[in-house]
Amino acid sequence: MTMNRRDFMKVSTGASGSLVLALSLPGCASVQTGFEPETGEWTPDVWLELNKQDEITFTLARVEMGQGTYTGLTTLIAEELDVDPARIQVKFAPVAPEYRNPFIGLQLTGGSTSVASSWQPLREAGASARLMLVMAAARVWGVDANNCRTDNGRVLHPNGVDSLRYGQLVELADKEVIRGDVPLKPRSEWKYIGKQAGKLDARAKATGTAVYGIDVELPGMVYAVMTRSPRYGGRAQSFNRDEILAMAGVQAAFITERGVAVVAGSYWKARKAQQAVRVEWDFSEALDTTVDEVFEGYRKAASEDPGEQERSEGGVDEAISKAGRVVEAEYEQPYLAHAPMEPMNATAWYHDGGMEIWAPTQAPDLGRIAACRNSDLSPDDVTVHTTFLGGGFGRRLTQDYIEEAAAVAYELKVPVKLIWSREEDMRHGFWRPAMLHRMTASLDGADLTGWDHQIVGPQVLDWYVRNAAPAQYPWAPKFLYNTLGKVGLMVEGLATPKDVSAIEGAIGYPYQVPNVSVRHTHTDPGVPITWWRSVGYSHNGFAVETFMDELAHEAGQDPLEFRRKLLAREPRHARVLERAAELAQWGTSLPEGRARGIALFQSFGTYVAQVVEAGIENGEIRVYKVTASVDCGQVVNPRIVEDQISGGILFGLTAALFGEITFNKGEVQQSNFHDYRLLQMHQVPEVVVDIVDSDEAPTGVGEPGVPPVIPALGNALFALTGKRQRRLPLAA
Amino acid sequence: MAFSLTVNGNRHTVDVDSDTPLLWVIRDELGLKGTKFGCGAGLCGACTVHVNGQPARSCSTAIELVDGAEITTIEGLSEGGNLHPLQQAWISEGVPQCGYCQSGQIMTAAHLLANNPSPSRDDIVAAMTGNLCRCGTYARIVAAVESVAGSVGHYQPGQEGA
Repeated sequence: MTMNRRDFMKVSTGASGSLVLALSLPGCASVQTGFEPETGEWTPDVWLELNKQDEITFTLARVEMGQGTYTGLTTLIAEELDVDPARIQVKFAPVAPEYRNPFIGLQLTGGSTSVASSWQPLREAGASARLMLVMAAARVWGVDANNCRTDNGRVLHPNGVDSLRYGQLVELADKEVIRGDVPLKPRSEWKYIGKQAGKLDARAKATGTAVYGIDVELPGMVYAVMTRSPRYGGRAQSFNRDEILAMAGVQAAFITERGVAVVAGSYWKARKAQQAVRVEWDFSEALDTTVDEVFEGYRKAASEDPGEQERSEGGVDEAISKAGRVVEAEYEQPYLAHAPMEPMNATAWYHDGGMEIWAPTQAPDLGRIAACRNSDLSPDDVTVHTTFLGGGFGRRLTQDYIEEAAAVAYELKVPVKLIWSREEDMRHGFWRPAMLHRMTASLDGADLTGWDHQIVGPQVLDWYVRNAAPAQYPWAPKFLYNTLGKVGLMVEGLATPKDVSAIEGAIGYPYQVPNVSVRHTHTDPGVPITWWRSVGYSHNGFAVETFMDELAHEAGQDPLEFRRKLLAREPRHARVLERAAELAQWGTSLPEGRARGIALFQSFGTYVAQVVEAGIENGEIRVYKVTASVDCGQVVNPRIVEDQISGGILFGLTAALFGEITFNKGEVQQSNFHDYRLLQMHQVPEVVVDIVDSDEAPTGVGEPGVPPVIPALGNALFALTGKRQRRLPLAA
Repeated sequence: MAFSLTVNGNRHTVDVDSDTPLLWVIRDELGLKGTKFGCGAGLCGACTVHVNGQPARSCSTAIELVDGAEITTIEGLSEGGNLHPLQQAWISEGVPQCGYCQSGQIMTAAHLLANNPSPSRDDIVAAMTGNLCRCGTYARIVAAVESVAGSVGHYQPGQEGA
């Protein structure tokens, strides 16, 4: 790509922060901006392209995995550009520094950050482009730009008669220079933000035309499958290569870093040949654990190591030693799989000295690192084309499947599509870590005086830094990659953000208690882990909100009242709690065999309270209704907020009712949807989502629906049966 | 081996192993990518198509079992460029999140309505519950099916495809 900075710099300087990220980076911008006479296309900034035919294209730098960026972020830029979002074509961003997530420093979609991190930059980008179009029109007409208005892709003359289409103005607009800040529309003038609107990708997804990673098709493409060590960390030593190569349709078979690759002209031929693969594994560094041993190790660590003090107020030890009553509880949470509906896959093509990757990935810049890791290529030699994602939930932040496809393609030099089976997806994942929580609290009468929360388990960055650190410094020489990862961990919390993946949600304990201690005993049993929808909040939510319920019971108080009186200084918490309780008619009688439970949890800046109404029928837990109240600041698309919260609720219920990955001597014991069950339609409760009207800046909604539903359900079951649920999945 | 099948009204002959699942024939031999691979074991429904008017899990249906059959996929559901009422409802209700399971959901719903044009909510849930959605779009699916129930009587399994 040729560099052309002339107009980029001009627009940037005028665009008041919209391109702060790009400007803050060393070197030249990699996205060409300006007007191209040959194509009639104007690229005012790294996000927009407008052409003379009035076609508008928006570059989406946060991947679409179901959480709604395709619609939501397009709406932000459309609002300020003043065009109907449905008129805008959306394309997925290439890897470029300009498209990094400013909250994370990587080109990564996760942490429920997409709207929050795009809210200001995208509106400013849209407003800047619109202003330049208006200024160009005003110059044509010889009128004051301040007196011109716009409406859905047209600039309107103050005379109320004439107008010019944006497409007629793109060449002239390019010459306009903005001085000073670009004003953004006040909320009262919004046409698209906050309005109930459709989803821009619904048509493609209802007609089967949306292209996911698995749908990529290239000329001369071959299909690869990978036989991985049944135990994580095992390495292939040898296999029956001659036998496999002799099988019908097999084009190649060889050992890679990740296992034995079999390549054939069709997926089915590769899969059939794989069944005959016999591998000699070197298990000397392989995982050899069972889940029971993991928890034994956690208990031992918890007793021997009080852990890193992550929050401390007052004197918990003293409060507990003097307390009238001490309550203790221990909670266990299992390993969980993400199980997105689209199995892991990637397509790679090594040609002309470069590697092209097509993949459903949440982090294309990490994908570049994964793709070049096992060859002499550098990240700059790798191009990543992001597709629609058939679900992500954090699984596609880890790039092992791209590493595999690239390794095979590097050998073969033809396009290769590598597809995982569902069984491989279940057995070779990176999991939500199993965790142990030890809770101790002191009660003085009905007053909670001390809170001590010990979290025991690993943290995700230890596993993630391998590709994340090099992606942050892609110009670093490759021999430094491993060092970068290690240094990244050494300076974690100093030069890099602190890894809060184990403690998030626990350190934010919102209740007003004079003595609070939150500790993390860091212990890692070697089971591969990664981010999982709501991450640390997913397990801390269960521990904190179940224990609060236990304490309410011990104090002889209603669980709602017990929480409410401790939230005097937390109005946003208190408001969603009260609204959810009121909507769910907390305290009113229910039919025989049903009970309610409540929980409240803030995650990713969003406040969510939920009331679950549940019962037990024929020995099975039944969830009848979930009522959620949500405060996520200003809402870009109410339908998507509702979908994300209710989707998060079903995701959490799936975990609460069924979710458990177990290991036996290092081997995962689950394999498909029959033994790693997902919630089905007939099990789905009525879900009510109440959204608080707010003027606060928007926060995320992809994950915050998950954490509260798990304890709320457990608390409902306690209210029903008197039996406390301290382990997941819940037991009827 | 050579097998012939009619997909969305078009006749095709394919030369594949006799145990090749219909799914991979549709996707990779015929290039119709709307039908999705989810589990390979008939457990999730993402690969649902109609075989002679009946819903089938194409990931677990060997091509030799459907030689000569009439197949309809999501691409064949819309006649002459007009969307099937269910597809229109999926758009109006904003059903899809990640969207990956939705072809299978729509094919299952289309079969339900073809046989029972005015299903009750219980009928809908009973027919659809074998189709998994990890994003949790179930409530919107029910709403979308209900919104067109009673209005798609013209849609007959025997006349599928364009």
